[in-house]
Amino acid sequence: MKREKSRKHRVLELLRMASQTAFFGLFLTLLLGAHYTGEDYIGSTVQRFFHFDPLLALVTLVAARLVYTLFAFALITVVATILFGRVFCGWVCPLGAVHQFSSFVFKKTKFLKPPREEKASLAWKYYILIIVLAGALFGLDLAGYLDPFSFLARSFSVAVFPSLAYALSGFNGILYGLGTTGLARSISQALENWTINVTFQQGFSVGLLFLGAVALNSRKERFWCRYLCPTGALLGLLSRWNLFKLKIDEEKCIKCGLCTQHCETQANPYPNEKWKSGECVYCQNCASICPTGAIRFPVSLRPEKMTNVSNVDLSRRKLILTTLLGIVAVPFFRLTPSHKRASLKLIRPPGSLPEDKFLAKCVKCGQCMRACPTGGLQPVLTEAGPEGIYTPMLVPKVGYCEYYCSLCTQVCPTGAIKKLTIEDKNKVKIGTAWVNKSRCIPYVLGKPCIVCEEHCPVSPKAIKLVEAETKLPDGSVAVQKAPVVDLELCTGCGICENKCPVMDDPAIFVTSVGETRSATNRLLLDITKETPADPYK
Amino acid sequence: MKRRDFIRDMAAGSLALRFGPGALAGAIATPAAVPVLVAVEGESPAAITREAIAALGGMKRFVGKGDKVVIKPNIGWDRTPEMAACTNPEVVKTLVELVLEAGAKKAIVIDNTTNQAKRCYVRSGIQEAVKQAGGDMLFVDDYRVKKTALKGAWIKEWDVLLDVIEADKVINVPIAKHHSLCRLTLGMKNWLGATGGARNQFHQDLDKAVVDLAAFFKPQLTVLDAYRILVRNGPQGGRLSDTQLMKTVVAGTDPVAVDALGATFFAVTPRELPYLRLARERGLGEFELEKVRFEKRKI
Repeated sequence: MKREKSRKHRVLELLRMASQTAFFGLFLTLLLGAHYTGEDYIGSTVQRFFHFDPLLALVTLVAARLVYTLFAFALITVVATILFGRVFCGWVCPLGAVHQFSSFVFKKTKFLKPPREEKASLAWKYYILIIVLAGALFGLDLAGYLDPFSFLARSFSVAVFPSLAYALSGFNGILYGLGTTGLARSISQALENWTINVTFQQGFSVGLLFLGAVALNSRKERFWCRYLCPTGALLGLLSRWNLFKLKIDEEKCIKCGLCTQHCETQANPYPNEKWKSGECVYCQNCASICPTGAIRFPVSLRPEKMTNVSNVDLSRRKLILTTLLGIVAVPFFRLTPSHKRASLKLIRPPGSLPEDKFLAKCVKCGQCMRACPTGGLQPVLTEAGPEGIYTPMLVPKVGYCEYYCSLCTQVCPTGAIKKLTIEDKNKVKIGTAWVNKSRCIPYVLGKPCIVCEEHCPVSPKAIKLVEAETKLPDGSVAVQKAPVVDLELCTGCGICENKCPVMDDPAIFVTSVGETRSATNRLLLDITKETPADPYK
Repeated sequence: MKRRDFIRDMAAGSLALRFGPGALAGAIATPAAVPVLVAVEGESPAAITREAIAALGGMKRFVGKGDKVVIKPNIGWDRTPEMAACTNPEVVKTLVELVLEAGAKKAIVIDNTTNQAKRCYVRSGIQEAVKQAGGDMLFVDDYRVKKTALKGAWIKEWDVLLDVIEADKVINVPIAKHHSLCRLTLGMKNWLGATGGARNQFHQDLDKAVVDLAAFFKPQLTVLDAYRILVRNGPQGGRLSDTQLMKTVVAGTDPVAVDALGATFFAVTPRELPYLRLARERGLGEFELEKVRFEKRKI
């Protein structure tokens, strides 16, 4: 028999690589573009990707019980999957591209030798999907942790970009040392222009998780996509009707098994009847590697047998059990005092919905943290309870909320942070500043300071100066201007805390109390006023 | 930048350092007829700036051919020009044009801002203005901030912007504003923006810090923008009602005299500002305006 590889499928394979590279590049470019460009309103950046994600659409719809119209784009992905299978995973998903490329590298460097036949169960991602969906029924948004877009955006925003920028600026020191001032200067100006902040309190854990996910590809090709990805699982369930089904030409097939060995996603092309439409991402590897060109994807209207979709035993019993597990697990997430009383450090970005709604919508993608010009928005670890891990909060010691900025509200893909104009944003209070008189320089040391007052951006200033008398150690009395906060005017932006010269524990600090979004995290019983209209309705 | 340029710049910079900015300032001869201090009032910020420099004898008096000139405005805040928190962009633009017309090789505009640098550069209108005039706008670069001996009365050494101290000539372009600690921020206080580090600690003895910095940086020329001044909620204001139109630019070779004249716009007599007295004691200039060769123009 004449052995000849299929040129057509090799071309398709190359096209697939080009498509993956393009989407990955687009994703990163848009993510990098989520910063102050010189315009106050930056338009749509990488969040549009998220609107095409059916898992995020579904979970947001179910968990928050809100229809977010931009998620209508996800219907395109759904229809495309029904018609063409998981092409989204194979040709579009930028995290899939990362995994496929790193699998390729691991294979070429012989870290990974794919076995002739892979027997490992593919069921895990379906269980993960079921737990995520069961949680959503109770308003728990777990999708963001393993959703590929959220995972990639968060990893790059909080860990990869910052560490690259950090390395680049270190490299700059060498360039200056060598006298290549021009290049070093261009790099430093570009880093400033792109506003890449290098300080993130969870950068380490987010970064390690990302590296871990990449490293798993040395165990199995596209480990994430095979065993973990809930979005892939959801698309897999939709793919049994798709038009293009793998067909092996029995006359040409020499039963070499290369197709199954090199299948990226364990879709098992050979034998033909064992092929799993729910796993195939149409990467074209099998058809391209086949020495006799025996593999094709002809149009077929016959739906795949359900058991064959992933060859996973998604029997009723197991489905019910996993669903129950998801439902039972939900209360664990709620055994936290954060539902009883607000956390003082949990200063949410301006425009954030009330806490329960916020948690139900936030997908932890980290885009707000990427966009924040001062780097003040940081991933939460403990402040918001277990379901709030990696949601954003303002840490004024790191960065403050810029007065004329509403970028975080513009880039949020789910509306957990409501889009606000700068004018509206400045009417929102995210917290309240407090003076610690036992640390404040004029109050304690009797020396002049007023740094917080001069930085207060509202006019008239929310920080007023009063004359304070301080008894000094020698018995004399010093009189200095000292800060007092006007609660009516303070927006909680945190610039006072950020700029306070008392470095370790600033003598003026912001806590979440008084935040506009909360009806309960209040300070004063203001019965003389009507309840203000919910600003987010 | 070419390597040759770089070596030459480094040489010039180190020479400037070696002899100190004082040596450069002293090198400028003052013709007898030319005033030390001018104030020009008029409708157009650009025109009054041009007129003020002309009254001082023209930019060629301060800038030589091939000079690298740093122009240091106040771009500290993310505020639009009508908030009078940053130097008027038209004034900065005119100075960049004048400096380049006088034959300077480069006109660099830089400030260590308080809010995000890019926001301040853009919203103040200064970035666009400098670009139009052909100058270079630089963000402060971590590697271009260096601990330097200031030899001040209070501050012995501090982080300063290398771009400023390596320049052949330095022009200070502050804006006149209210400040709740030193009452007014004018020209000498503007040098806080050429420092790095934990500069907010200067506030613990701000008058001394201002004078130490002024004594170190010693500009060839100070141009105080008082076109629109900030009279309350300084130093950043936030409302139009915090500002007041003065439509004046003050320029001078005596930085103390410039600040003294600036104080009068706020109905503050110069002797009320301790840093002016300290500056005179240090020999930086004169605050009693009657002792200064002063010219007032209106166009």
